[in-house]
Amino acid sequence: MKAKETLIPRVEEPVASVPQPPAAASVVGLSKRFGKTSVLENISFDVAEGEVLVLLGASGSGKTTILRIIAGLEMPYTGKVILHGKDVTELPARERGVGVIFQSYALFPKMTVEKNIGYGLRIRKRRRKEIRETVNELLSLVQLNEHRKKYPSQLSGGQQQRVAIARTLAYKPEVLLFDEPFGALDTQTRVHLRREIRALLKKVNVPSIFITHDQEEALELGDRVAVLNVGHVEQIGTPFEIYNHPATEYVATFLGAANLLDAVVGQDSLEVGSARIPATLDSAKFKPGDCVKIVFRPEDVVLTRGDLSQSRHSRIGSARIDEITFVGAYERLRMHMDLVGEECKTDETPFYLTTQTPERQTTKAIIATRPKPEASATRLQVGERVSVALTSFTVLPPQSTKGTN
Amino acid sequence: MSSIAPAMRHVRGFDVVRPLSIGMLIFMMMPLVFLPLASIFIFGTSNGLDKFWAALTAPEAIFALKLSMATSFWATVFNVIFGLFAAYVLSRHNFWGRNALIVTISLPTAIPTAVAGFALLLLWGPYGILGRLLAPQGFQIMFTAGAIILANIFVTFPLAFGVIKPVFDTMSHSLEEASATIGATRWQTFWHVTLPSLRGAIVSGALLTFARAVGEFGSTILVSGNLAGRTQTAPLYIFAKFNEGQIEAANAIAIVLALFSFLIFSVLFFARDWLDVD
Repeated sequence: MKAKETLIPRVEEPVASVPQPPAAASVVGLSKRFGKTSVLENISFDVAEGEVLVLLGASGSGKTTILRIIAGLEMPYTGKVILHGKDVTELPARERGVGVIFQSYALFPKMTVEKNIGYGLRIRKRRRKEIRETVNELLSLVQLNEHRKKYPSQLSGGQQQRVAIARTLAYKPEVLLFDEPFGALDTQTRVHLRREIRALLKKVNVPSIFITHDQEEALELGDRVAVLNVGHVEQIGTPFEIYNHPATEYVATFLGAANLLDAVVGQDSLEVGSARIPATLDSAKFKPGDCVKIVFRPEDVVLTRGDLSQSRHSRIGSARIDEITFVGAYERLRMHMDLVGEECKTDETPFYLTTQTPERQTTKAIIATRPKPEASATRLQVGERVSVALTSFTVLPPQSTKGTN
Repeated sequence: MSSIAPAMRHVRGFDVVRPLSIGMLIFMMMPLVFLPLASIFIFGTSNGLDKFWAALTAPEAIFALKLSMATSFWATVFNVIFGLFAAYVLSRHNFWGRNALIVTISLPTAIPTAVAGFALLLLWGPYGILGRLLAPQGFQIMFTAGAIILANIFVTFPLAFGVIKPVFDTMSHSLEEASATIGATRWQTFWHVTLPSLRGAIVSGALLTFARAVGEFGSTILVSGNLAGRTQTAPLYIFAKFNEGQIEAANAIAIVLALFSFLIFSVLFFARDWLDVD
């Protein structure tokens, strides 16, 4: 809850300072309830002209509901939907001019491919010639020329999805909404189609909102990604920001593997266990003595044999290797870190009270990966002790470590 | 056990159960279905085709057939449109009393047709609840072709609905949602998206209703007055001629009705797949 409040100004800061073109689509303070259960709380975001925004979240995070509200298939409890500066919250779906690509494709089974694509123009009573030209154009855009006379049931999943996209592009929607468009496809088609659609979207330059629960898809497709968690936005940012500088523990763990360690804020440093690593922290957010968490990716971990301290990276302690798994392009190491250090104040542990000593020793499991060249240069064995250092890490603000589990 | 049973069922790779069970089925159907049907044809043509033709083209017979077709047609038109509407409302909206309505719509199939005819008489007849008030105004629907249509509508009420509703229920709602986001009005969505998916169901619902209405006897005989050449439908004609001892006359119409239902069910059987091809 608090994480969300600290987050919104952070995202909108640059928006306020730099004169921006008006957003193509924005939602403001959206909330939704089904009966007594609240499924969305105060959702706000903008999509710029030509931008692809991905809403990433687990099932039940409310991402589909947001999409349906923007499309006009669902009414919000509070909040507004604005498309190209026009408040459309009260408009029915058919007057909004949005294009929705459903997970089930929702192609009309009794119409051929070209009839499906021309549908939006036919109901708009456009001239026959114009319809034919647009349909031809779109058929070549999605490369389905030779399938134009077929019925949807005669096409593969990927082809059906492309028809669905062409069908929405035909009437030039203000914004495209993709509801888990690759959910029903096999992995290979999915990766292929994802790249195709990314290229297509850049070509047609229609602002788009994508829904997915697949973090890889989100990072690859989105100009920006909004991570949703049980009805609120945890963080919005570029894929790089989201992955490398997660704002909350949830974001950190949702996007791929992440290691989390407790740390205590010091003067221009952080204490992780008994190690002290230099860090310049925003004094507005962190006070000395604050209990925080640091997040780092498995690939941020540098392992060295023995207890040699490394000068280039921040050494955080030593660990014992429990397991080494070969996973193709890299090897994954599971290990236990020995952390001896000052007990974190917020941690509720019986130890602290019974032993009456601020020192305690705990072990913490972490995961590291090493690329193939490094793995073959320095072979490590299970049971070996290694020194653990980090090339980069992110410090989560104290509030964000609470209430996000 | 399992080692003996296959040996008994298969004699050198030949499955004995198969021809036995098929033969059994046909044998059981013989006295129950095949022979009664066959006897209509055998009897009807035993006195020569001339007599058969003369019986068929008797003015009263022609009239009875025409009346049956016309009244059944209008009952079918009404019940298909009504069934479509009812199925739409009952599968798209959830409301209090929805299940009660579904049961009520389905009820007429369970009511004996004589009871249905009697019920209509009690409402519209000269001494009926409504008929008593309407008769002085010169409005009398009982004992006319209109009464036959009313009776047909009543007894075939749930048939089209029963065929159309399951198709509505299984139809993906996202098709209609997609149509709406594309910009179609509700009517356009219904016409271009919903209705084409119902084609097969509508045709088979209509055929079922029509076939059932053409053969209706119990309710018709009560409400029509059974006036030869005026309100006598084909089944009533068969019954009347049989009572008068004119077996050939009754038989000729019986043949027509039997062939007719055979035709309808063949169409139902084969056309359904054809209409539902995506």
